[in-house]
Order: sequence, then C-alpha cells, then structure tokens
Amino acid sequence: MDSQRSDDGKGYLVLVALMGAALVAWWWLPSVSVAPNRIVPGTGFSAGQVAGWPMALLASLPLLLTGWVALRAGQQRLSWLLGLVMLCLVGWPLWLLLATVQLVDPQLPQARVAIGAGMWLTLFLLLLALIELSTRMKLAAWRSWLLFLLPVAVLAACIPVGLDRLALWQEYQGRSDDFITAIGVHLLLVAATVVLSLMIGVGIALFVRRVPAMQRTVFSILNFLQTIPSLALFGLLLGPLAWLASHYAWLESLGVSGIGWAPALLALVAYSLLPMVRNTLVALEGVDEGVIEAARGMGMSRRQILQQVRLPLALPVLIEGIRITTVQAIGLTAVAALIGAGGLGRFIFQGLGQAATDLVLLGALPILIMALVADALLAGMARKLQPGLSPGAGT
Amino acid sequence: MIELIGVSKRFGDSLAVNNISLKVASGEFCCLVGTSGCGKSTTLRMINRLIEHSDGEIHIDQQPIRSFREEVLRRRIGYAIQSTGLFPHWTVARNIGLVPRLLKWSQAAVDARVEELMALLRLDMAEFAGKYPHQLSGGQAQRVGVARALAADPDILLMDEPFGALDPITRENLQLELRDLQARLGKTIVFVTHDMDEALRLADHLVVMHEGQVVQQGHPLELLREPANEFVTSLLGGEDRGLKEAALLPVSERMVPLGVGGVARDRIVQTASLRDALSMMLWRRVERLAVVDDEDIPIGELSFRRLVGARGHE
Amino acid sequence: MNERHGAPWLAPLCWGILLVGGCLLMRFLEAPLRLVEPDSRAVVFERVDLLTLLGRHLLVVSVAALLSVVVGVVAAIAVTREKGRDFLPLVAQVASMGQTFPPVAVLALAVPVLGFGTVPIIVALMLYGLLPVVRNTLAGIEGIDPAVREAARGMGMTSRQILRQVELPLASPVIVAGIRTSVTINIATAALGATVGASNLGEPIIAGIVNGNTAYIVQGAVLIALLALTVDSLFGWLAPGHTG
Repeated sequence: MDSQRSDDGKGYLVLVALMGAALVAWWWLPSVSVAPNRIVPGTGFSAGQVAGWPMALLASLPLLLTGWVALRAGQQRLSWLLGLVMLCLVGWPLWLLLATVQLVDPQLPQARVAIGAGMWLTLFLLLLALIELSTRMKLAAWRSWLLFLLPVAVLAACIPVGLDRLALWQEYQGRSDDFITAIGVHLLLVAATVVLSLMIGVGIALFVRRVPAMQRTVFSILNFLQTIPSLALFGLLLGPLAWLASHYAWLESLGVSGIGWAPALLALVAYSLLPMVRNTLVALEGVDEGVIEAARGMGMSRRQILQQVRLPLALPVLIEGIRITTVQAIGLTAVAALIGAGGLGRFIFQGLGQAATDLVLLGALPILIMALVADALLAGMARKLQPGLSPGAGT
Repeated sequence: MIELIGVSKRFGDSLAVNNISLKVASGEFCCLVGTSGCGKSTTLRMINRLIEHSDGEIHIDQQPIRSFREEVLRRRIGYAIQSTGLFPHWTVARNIGLVPRLLKWSQAAVDARVEELMALLRLDMAEFAGKYPHQLSGGQAQRVGVARALAADPDILLMDEPFGALDPITRENLQLELRDLQARLGKTIVFVTHDMDEALRLADHLVVMHEGQVVQQGHPLELLREPANEFVTSLLGGEDRGLKEAALLPVSERMVPLGVGGVARDRIVQTASLRDALSMMLWRRVERLAVVDDEDIPIGELSFRRLVGARGHE
Repeated sequence: MNERHGAPWLAPLCWGILLVGGCLLMRFLEAPLRLVEPDSRAVVFERVDLLTLLGRHLLVVSVAALLSVVVGVVAAIAVTREKGRDFLPLVAQVASMGQTFPPVAVLALAVPVLGFGTVPIIVALMLYGLLPVVRNTLAGIEGIDPAVREAARGMGMTSRQILRQVELPLASPVIVAGIRTSVTINIATAALGATVGASNLGEPIIAGIVNGNTAYIVQGAVLIALLALTVDSLFGWLAPGHTG
C-alpha cells in the first residue's frame, strides 16, 4: 500500500550504474588480444588501439546514449532503453569483427583473435541490463529468450565474413567432430541420470510413504551422499568398480570399469536422488488434505482422485525436482570427465592443462548454456502446469 | 489532543485521503469507520507518520507532528494492529517491554512495567511471560499486542482493527475490557474498524469515512438519529438502527422510579441496555420489568410503552 | 547429517577426529591401499604432507567463505533498504540464475580471467559462494511477516534497530542455511582447483588420475569426504533443523 518509492523524477539508477560500469570496462580493459598462432600468448589491445580512438568513441556511443536516457528519463522509457541495450548487444559482435579485420594479419593462417576482459565484462553488464529490463517490463520468458538470440544470430552471421579468426571458433574447427560427440555424451549421461534417478527416486518416495519409519534413515543417507564432494565420490567409486570389473568378466564385457561412464553414472544418480525423492515426496504429500477430502466427499473414486486431483497438483513439484536434478547433473557431468567419462568437461580440463583459454571456453560455454536452457525450459513447463497461473505470467 | 487540518494523502495519481479535518479531544475514544479502501487506515497511519501526509497539517497537543523525529513521535504513541506484529523470536515479556527498552528505561523499571501491564490485561505472569507468540491463541496475542502498545504509558493509542481476526465472543470480551481500560486510564484512542457494531459499542466520537473523505462525524447517537445520507444510513444498518440505538441507551434512561412497589417479577439491572430489556420482554413474554441497582434492590420499573416511547418523550 | 538424538556435538567431533587421524595415519595404511592398487610401486601419497594439504584446503575455503558471507550479507541488506531497493530485482534474479551455473564452469571461466594459483581460486569460490548467501539472505529478510516490520516501525524503532533486533535475528536460520550450502559447494569446488595447480586435498586425486594410481585417488577422496562431513555436521550442530 505504501509504495511511496517514487520512480518519477530521479534517474533509473540500476541502468545508469550498469552502463557506467560497462563504459569503464570498455575503455580501460583490453578489448581483444591477438596471437599469431595457438602457442604464443596474445597481445592485448585496448578499445582505442583497435581502430583509433574516434572509432572507439563512436562504438561506445550506444552505451553512453543508454546511460544518458536512463539518467534523464528514469523509468518512463523502458522500451526505448530495451531498444538501446539491444543495439549495444548487436554492436558487440560487429566490434569484434572490426577488431579482427583491423588486427589480424591475413597472411598468417594461424593468427587468431581472442575476446579480451573488457569485452567480456561489457557483454556481461549488457546481459545484466537485459535481464533487469525484461524483469522490470515483465516480459514473458520466451520473449526475453528471443532477445538473447538476436546478438547470437549476428555473431553467427559474422563468422563467415571474417570472424572465423576468433580463437574460440578456431578451437572448435580443430575438433568439430569431437565437440559434437562430447555434447552427445554429455547429454546422454545427463538424460540417463535423470531417467534413472526419477525411477529410483519415485520408488524410494513411494516406499518411504508406505514405511514412514524409514523416512529419517533414507533422508540421512541421501543427505550424506549429497554432502560428499563430487570429485571424492567419483574417486571412491573408482576402486570398488575396478575390483568388480576385474573379478566378474560379464561386468567388464558390459563396459564397466573403474574409470569411464560406470562410476560417473553411479555417482550422478547418487547425487540426484536427494532432490528427486524430496520433491516426489512433497508432490505426493503436499496436496492439501482439504482438497482430497472434498474430492472424496463429491464421490470421486480413488482412481479419479489420483488422476484428476493428485497428479495434476503434484506434477509441477515433480518437474521442479527434475529441473534441480537436470541442472545439477549438467554441471557434475563436467567433473566426470576427470575419470574418463567424456563429455564437455574434457575440453575444460584439457584446456586448463594446456593453459588454452579458448579450449576451456569451448567446454564451459556450452555447459553454461545447457544449464540455463534446461533450467528455463523445465521451469517454464512447471509454470505452465501450475493451475491458476496463466502461462508466461510472473518470473 | 490530535488535530488533522485539511489532510490529504496521494499515492501516485490516486487520492487515498482527501482533505479531511478531524479533532480528537484528550481522553476521547474515536472510531474511524468505513468500507475497505476508504482511507481510514491511511488516516490512522499518518498520525504516527508510518505514512507521510501529502498536504495539510497534523498536530498532537498543538505541535505539528513533523517537528518530532519519527521514532520519538512513535515511541510516545501506542500502536496495535490486527495481525499483532508480535516479534516471533521474542518472549511475551520481552515483546511487551519493547518500547520502554527503546526509551532506555532501567531493566528493573522495564520488568516492573511488564508485570503491571500483564496484570492489567489479565495475562497470568507465570504462565505467559516466557511463552513465544506462536504459542498464544488469537485473543491472548492481541492482549499482548495491546499491552505492548500501552507499555510506555503513551497518552495516545492508535489501533488498526485490532480485534478484526478474533471470534465473536473473544472480540466482545476484549471490546468491553478496552472500553473499561480507557475509562480507567483516560487514554486518547483512535480506533479503525469496518465493523459498525464494534464502533458503536466503543466510540464516543464516530467518524464515518467514504472514498477518502469524512462523510459524517459526531457522537454515535447523533449519527444514529440523524444520518447525513444514504451511505451512513446503510452503514448503520438501515432498519436495524432502532436496535442499535437501544443498545447504546441504559435502562435507567427510560425507567420510572419506584413508586408503589414492585409489581413485575422479572428483574433487570439499571445499567443494562434498552436492547437487553427489549430482548428480555420478548423472551419472557412480559410487558414490565423491575429495574434493580447493582445490589439487586428494586429502584424502578420499565414498561414496554416506556421502552418504545417516542423520542424526546417527556 | 543431522543427528538429533544423543550429543549434537558428537558427529562433528567424530568426523573431525577421523579426518585429522586419516591425514596423520594414512601412511600406515599401506596394506589396505595395496588391495586397491596391487601393481603400483607406491601406494601412499607422500609428495606433500596430507595435513598440510588439509590446512591449505581449509584456508582457501574459509577465506572465500568469509569474504562471500561478508559481501553477500551486506549486499543483500543493502538492496533491501529503502535506498538500494532499485537494485533488488536484478540482484535477486542474478542470484537465482547464477545458481544454475555449474561451479566447474565458473571455476574454469575464472582461470583464464584471473590466472592460475591460490588467489584466483579464492576469488572464484567467493564469487560462486556469494550466490547462495545473497539468495538466502534476501529470502530470509523478504520472508519476514510485513506486520512484524510494520509493528516495529510503529513502536518507534529506528531502521538500524529494526535490522539488528528484528530482521537479522528472524532471517538468521535461512542465512545460515545459505552459508552452509555455500561452504559445502566450496569444499567440493576447491578440490577441483587442484586441476589448475592449487595444492589441496584434490591433489592426491588429480595425481592419481594422471598416474593411473587408484590408491592415491582413494586417499584424496576419503579425506575430502571426511572434510565435507566434518564441516557439514558442524553446521548441523550450530544451526540445527536446516539440512542441505
């Protein structure tokens, strides 16, 4: 009732701050770094050095303009601001293209351009601005995703016209088959984890509902598993599995061994059980007793109650459990690369070993994107199934 | 004394309170009544500056409220709300002692005051002092809320539907106790409610608000007898008004002092309301009641004709 | 694990003794380690003293945790005040979105930006550890019944008094749960730091993977698991009722 905070009169502080920080990052930190080949460390170039300071000034105009509009118009002109931020985001790959054209010697086939701290930070701050604006404007989730796609599309369009000298792209080109396989393995492991833990988790939840005395013990064990760091759990499974495989030939013929997918999958499922069981239990027990009572009072059969009342009410919570599990599994699968399970984590650890930043990125960026997409999709699904909430409403 | 002069409150473009003027005399029990969203709560909360007024002036004892620091002002005004707002992590005793501690009273003084207040609100010290709010019933929690509001002995008490969430019996008990408390302590009380029966039962000064404005104010009987317009009439319960008025008048008002000797068998105390008397007549199917004093000694008689006697009779 | 019956300090004490004992006595466990790794010449990790590794692990985690608690709680308080409220939606959104980022990816991304070594790892852990702290502090403060805050203001408490006597005490269980999550993640992520040259309990594991020596891996894994359990049960003792 007393929302007295006036949004009239004063500037839109959040956006002003973000744009100010972006300008500082843009001018003060290295914009790109250029290396003649993969082994030599790159030389950093500031924005002014890329194509002379007038060009850099021109390029920073959208940032300045956004900050200025935010300062003067406050929150009155959100859609203008959104447009300006999008302009900045679209300009970002173009600047990268310009830097490549300016700085990379076309005579050197190995020469490459890497994105510098200044550009990374600017991108990060622009994305924050985009998140801020879409929250503030209450944009539907799919709309803000479309907004994210626009700069990605521009970036993709720039690759054939000169951005193929981007180090990240070069790393990809060097191992494009490996990359596809790695993504496949990663997704397969995640999918297997989610399906297995869903089956086992629902089973445990049903068991615990039947035998409530076991609830404490079961949760103690699951909590215990969740507490053990992933690297340790992978390591601990390594010994017993290696021993099993060497003593039982049929296991070995299945591909089970101390390293590889077997310990990875086991550990991943072990981690996933806690969120899965917890949410399944909440989903089954969280349905308001009054609702069930009413359903019974209206003369619905057990089956009808299950199908028409319990399940629809429980589904969003169950999907929430799947969401937590999936996001967690995407991250943990990356660690599993250490014990030879493959997946995108391989690039990360290879890259770290060779101090090849862009190889690390080649592994880490898709993982980040996968986690974000899985999170958004499943959250959207849970929201859509939430009764009484119109799809797309709220955040 | 509280005085509002031409006070308005704007939220963005909408006017929640529109140019109201109001004077609450010291020791007066003032009820602000109206439908939800009429601005009564906003008006109340402007008095202790939980909401700042946009226009006009508010004075307490001739001093503009903005001449005090907010916290200082609030510490000398008691405040109780419907959901009690008791601090869940503090015991009952600590909750009650909040304002005295804010005012830096000595621990001994705080303890003594808490004990005094718990006795005043009939909360058993041994049983309740160490309990936490979630262990209390609604009525008990509200008693603690009122005790906390009274803790630093403020002259003014602001109450925002404090009994709104209670069951009817608890509510009525607390209303009677509050009335009694006010008579004894002489506090100035501003009380917000949407329950007209509650307002009629408590108020010396009734203020009816609608759409941010004061529609009518005065003594409850004045409003009952001469409602300013349709809105006030309907708020007062339309045809029910007769019963409501009867509820406000004591039997002693209409009785005939004892002359020849008690004829009626059924007795009623002189302090009971005419409404009680009417109810007793209907129930017992009699037309006469003997009126007795507190010691059960007959002092007069009330007939049905006298009871319904025309207004301004005699 | 959250033991409710018996002495609540027993669990952290037991795990702690096992942990320190494990560090000190691992070298006498050659025979059982031989079982896992019959072929290698050395089965006991002796390159660095295990207790030293434990100390470094604890140092990195506690410095990072301390920083993220201070920064996170202060930031969350700042954006829930009148003046900082403009930043609340963004901070809340970032704190919840950021938690979908896998810690490995964050660590991996921090290395190119910050370089190899102890300080970059502390910074990465601190940044990632911020998220649960901020998120839970926000949830704790925003979750307080508005009537309580209204009453506190109405009674004439200053904003500072409300923060210290009402908001923080009421939010503290949720805040502590956030710190617990943060520390648990940090212990695990710090171990991964061994892949980028940090020397801690992750080192035997990485050395084991590189040399194909399962015994090394088991030693590191057991000790890290014990460390995580000790710290977690410590939280369980200090702030019971909030697991995981």
